[in-house]
Amino acid sequence: MKFIHAADLHLDSPFLGLTNLPNTVLSTVRQATFTAATKVFDRALTDQVDFVLLAGDLFDRAEQSVAAQAYLFHQFERLNQAKIPVIISFGNHDFAADQHQSVAYPDNVTILGAMGTTKTLTLQSGETVAVSGFSYPERWVTQDPVATFPDRSAADWQIGLLHGALATGSDDHYAPFKLSELLAKRYDYWALGHIHHRQLLNEQPPVLYAGNTQGRSVNETGVKGAYLVSSQAGKLVPSFFPTSAVLWENLTVVFDHVTDLKALGLALTTWLEAHVTSQLTLTALTVTLAQPLDAVELAQITSGDWLSLYLRTHQRYLVAANRTLIKLQVSQAATKITAPQIDQQYWERGQAQVFESANERATFGKLLQDTSLAEWFMQPTTTVQLKQQAEQELTKLMGGEDNHAT
Amino acid sequence: MQLKRLTIYGYGKFHDRTFDLTPGLNVLVGPNEAGKSTITQFITAILFGFPTKKHPELRYEPLDGSQFGGEMVLCQAGVDYLVRRVDGPKGGKVTLTNLTTDSPLPPENLNRLLAPVDEQLFSQVYSINEPRLSEVFAASKQVMVERLRHVGAVGSDYWLQQAAQQEKAAEALYKPLGRNPRLNQQLREHAELSAKLAKANAAYDTYWSLLQERQSLLQRQKQQRVKLDQQRQVSEQLAHLASLWPTFDQWQRLQKTTVQPTSGFGQTDLTELERLTGQVKAATTGNATLQHSLEKAQVQADLPANFQQYVTVATRADPLLAQLPQQRQLVTAHEQLRQTQQGLQQRMAVIEQQVANADGTMPRSFPLSVAHDVTRWQAELVKATQKRRRLQQELNQLNEQFRQVQPTSRKRTNPLADKQVGWLAAGLIILVGAMLLPAAPFKLAGALLGMAIGYYGVFIVDSATPASRQLQGITDDIRDTQAQLREGGQRIDQLTSQLDEIGSTYGLDNLPVEQWDAAQAAIHEWDQLTEQLETVTDQLTTGTDQQMAFQQSVGTLFPDLIHRPTAAVLDELTAIDQTRHQLSTRDDELTSLMNQLKQSQTALQAAERDQQVFLQTRNVRSPQAFYERYEANREFHNQQVQQMALAHQLGTAAITQLQHYQSQTSLQTAVQAAQTELQGAQQALDASTSQLATIAGQLDHLTASGTQSTLRQKLANLEAQMQVNAQSWLVHQLVSQWIKATLAAASGDRLPQILQRASVFYGKLTSNRYTEISLTESDLRVRLATGEWRQVSQLSRGTAEQLDLAVKLAFAVVMNERVQMPLVIDDGLVNFDAQRRQAAIQVLIDLSDQLQILLLTADEPAIRSVSGNIIRLMD
Repeated sequence: MKFIHAADLHLDSPFLGLTNLPNTVLSTVRQATFTAATKVFDRALTDQVDFVLLAGDLFDRAEQSVAAQAYLFHQFERLNQAKIPVIISFGNHDFAADQHQSVAYPDNVTILGAMGTTKTLTLQSGETVAVSGFSYPERWVTQDPVATFPDRSAADWQIGLLHGALATGSDDHYAPFKLSELLAKRYDYWALGHIHHRQLLNEQPPVLYAGNTQGRSVNETGVKGAYLVSSQAGKLVPSFFPTSAVLWENLTVVFDHVTDLKALGLALTTWLEAHVTSQLTLTALTVTLAQPLDAVELAQITSGDWLSLYLRTHQRYLVAANRTLIKLQVSQAATKITAPQIDQQYWERGQAQVFESANERATFGKLLQDTSLAEWFMQPTTTVQLKQQAEQELTKLMGGEDNHAT
Repeated sequence: MQLKRLTIYGYGKFHDRTFDLTPGLNVLVGPNEAGKSTITQFITAILFGFPTKKHPELRYEPLDGSQFGGEMVLCQAGVDYLVRRVDGPKGGKVTLTNLTTDSPLPPENLNRLLAPVDEQLFSQVYSINEPRLSEVFAASKQVMVERLRHVGAVGSDYWLQQAAQQEKAAEALYKPLGRNPRLNQQLREHAELSAKLAKANAAYDTYWSLLQERQSLLQRQKQQRVKLDQQRQVSEQLAHLASLWPTFDQWQRLQKTTVQPTSGFGQTDLTELERLTGQVKAATTGNATLQHSLEKAQVQADLPANFQQYVTVATRADPLLAQLPQQRQLVTAHEQLRQTQQGLQQRMAVIEQQVANADGTMPRSFPLSVAHDVTRWQAELVKATQKRRRLQQELNQLNEQFRQVQPTSRKRTNPLADKQVGWLAAGLIILVGAMLLPAAPFKLAGALLGMAIGYYGVFIVDSATPASRQLQGITDDIRDTQAQLREGGQRIDQLTSQLDEIGSTYGLDNLPVEQWDAAQAAIHEWDQLTEQLETVTDQLTTGTDQQMAFQQSVGTLFPDLIHRPTAAVLDELTAIDQTRHQLSTRDDELTSLMNQLKQSQTALQAAERDQQVFLQTRNVRSPQAFYERYEANREFHNQQVQQMALAHQLGTAAITQLQHYQSQTSLQTAVQAAQTELQGAQQALDASTSQLATIAGQLDHLTASGTQSTLRQKLANLEAQMQVNAQSWLVHQLVSQWIKATLAAASGDRLPQILQRASVFYGKLTSNRYTEISLTESDLRVRLATGEWRQVSQLSRGTAEQLDLAVKLAFAVVMNERVQMPLVIDDGLVNFDAQRRQAAIQVLIDLSDQLQILLLTADEPAIRSVSGNIIRLMD
């Protein structure tokens, strides 16, 4: 008996935080979620699995993607032709709103409905598999759903399909559960979804987040994929297989001898040539420099103008390395702010007064009305970045101050 | 900074003047128009530039035409600089020289030397005159702070500039109300993209509804296919039936038109008829042969012409022959009747001659009563006539008597003689006229009347002539007689008219009454004759009819005799009859022939009768009709066979189905309808199919367009860019704020010092009437020694000016740590009373060890006690 456990396909959802993506990469990126999902379904067909479990967030209902729906119809039909059942529990992004239910997926697809639903399959081998789970009726499920899962049945295999997060005790919107509760059910396998980083919560029986099949932002780095689970000596053993079409990467490199942008460009090119990837990789690069850059040059880095220019002029190298740089930061030794004509204490007082969240918020003002900007603004890293950049900027200005007098 | 020397090339009223200045207090004394304000303006102009030519009154160009401008030696941080400014563009041409090193400096360095003091600050704080003192009353903390910030930190101008540049850079990225900055554009683009995406998202609903539509269409298509198949079968079935229709039609017609066959017209019947016909034919042939033989025999036997004819019709002719005697009798009787008729007619003609009226009509006979009346009336008439005659005689006698008695009366009667002639004449006329009347009685009556009249005229009239009593008696008798006569006449007239009436009623007008009896008898006879004549005529007619009928019967048998007279016919027949008799008694060939012929005739008749019976029992008139019926019968059988064959060909099922249709047309209509429905079903299916194709196309389009994904990715990218820009913008903004906050922090510390100093100065200036100055957000206020607070607006002009002076002095003193700038006070104390002016001068003297002060004044006495550099302008 073998099956595939995948989750969080997030079909047709956009990649976030891309500003300078070249067109050559764009189409690959746009297709990436589909490419990744196709690998899952292809694997199901080639390995002739007994069934496929999809633990929610196949698509984002809010995004109303036609492509995602059409894709699912097509893929489910492929599996239908091969007589491979698909069992789905919808999650917080594809919650089971009652719209469009009149057009059903092919017959091989089972959507687990209300809590406490169990679908029992009889495999060709004669084994029986009971899959219990539920679909989110709306965006949030705040109650612990585990109690609604039935106790282990007489089926040969009992599997829990659950889209949710471990309970944290507060603000739990996504079917909060406790590991101990899951283990107490004595199921053979818990197929989890929702958390995009794959992780094994328990070795045996496996309680497992499959992670998403394709990372969609720089926060979702590394190889993504799904699990092929097979029975071995009365136990279910998951084995990971990669699916991601595009990789995200956060890298820090040290360029000791770089002192200016020209040298940085050369060093970067050299680095690219030395680090060719097998799969298209979107890299957010942090460059550590031994000696600080000139403030003006640093400002060019900070504004992103330099990277933008570099990407335009070095596309050949990027293509060859199968990589694109989505962000470039320079990390250098902090410079002390000294303004000879004004006491240090005044600068510090001024900084404390300005870099204060209420003031920042007031200054940001109307821009907070823009959802995406507000989202960025609210991130805790934002205020740190703002302060750092302001210090860099001021340092640059202090350099100018020296020239001013006689 | 300390001013050491002013050299004026040409400025206002001055030319080629030099003023040496010392540190501390310098007093420049001079009356009005001595040039105090000119010097103040000169200092400002050299340091900060000449006003533009738009304001010539502020330029103080020299009146005598010497070179415009001058120079100034100033000491800054222990270094002497020479600033020379002459007429030139942009505030004048500046030459800057470091006198310590004797090196020229770029003219721009002048501003740096003076920084942070610029013209504005200099004129607001350091250059003090009366109008300026009074204009600062509006001072608020904000203004104060700004001014403080301006000079609060050395180099603050740079930082202010940087802050402004940061703001500018920020504005290049985003302005809350802007359109063109990058982030504004991106926000707009974001809105547009979002709208586009929302529009593209509409495709989502379309997609689902298309899927739904496709699903229902597929369902419908399936149903339509089934229906189409059914309909096709129906249509084909009907078409098959339609092709069978001609056969069916034939079958149906056979069934419908066939009459039930009648028995008696079969093959056996035909044989029987033919046998009978053969018999008839054989008999007829035999007959003909016999007749031929008979004809020959007859010729030999010299038989009457018509006998041969007779032989053929003997059976029918015999009854006629039997009638012969009777016929002869009839002829005789006929002749007798004719004679009787003639006799009657003659008699009637006689009577008619006697009695008939002129127009030939016969009078009619009276009934009995009328006859009695007539007899009676005639008798009365006779009597009346007799009586009249008697009376006439009596009258005549009387008349005679009268004539005798009355001879004289002649004269008188002469006129009467004329009358007599008249009467006579009238009587004659009537007499004659009566003779013209047709009937005798009339004539008689008329003649009598005429005579009577004549008589009357001659005798009675005359007798009427009375002459005496005798005469009178006679006259009366005459009159009496005349009266009786008249009475009798009237009776006669009455009777006559009654008789006339009867006469005219019965057509006896032409006969005199006397002949009426005789006439009546004649009329009666005539009537009887008429009846007899009718009887005879009837008998004659009957006889004639009988003769005619006989003759006709004869005519049919013997065509030769048709137009022959009766007598001749009878003779012929008699001859035939005699011949027959003769022959019946002879036993020869002819007889036998005739017998044979008779027998043959009988046989023929029997045969014919048999045939007739045969035909009658079958209710047909002739063999021809029989044959027709026979043929019909045979045809029927043929048709039955044919029908069975057709029924077999059609099959019972088809027949049952076909029988549902009235006619080929209705079947055709059904076929048509079925085909139409088939076409309809096909069209519906086609429509569904094409709709499905359309939907598939639309779905493909929706699926393949990728618009949504592209837009979403674009939006995500745009948002990333927006975040970068927002970050830059925010950094710029925050940096600007940071600089300003830092400057504010640096300068803000000095404000309390300035206020403290100002309070001290103000106390001194006002002899401690006011002890404290306080700066609020919006205004400046002062505190009396009594503890009360006063707004600036509540102060007197002088006191307010003293407040301003105190603040400015405090500012200059406190800022002196960083900015050394000479104070130039141009007649600023004019509104001060003497005591306060002294106090003010004392404060200035006190400050002169810290500040260089140039006091320009016209108030000589006030400065008497002042020790320091006193320059008299009027010297």
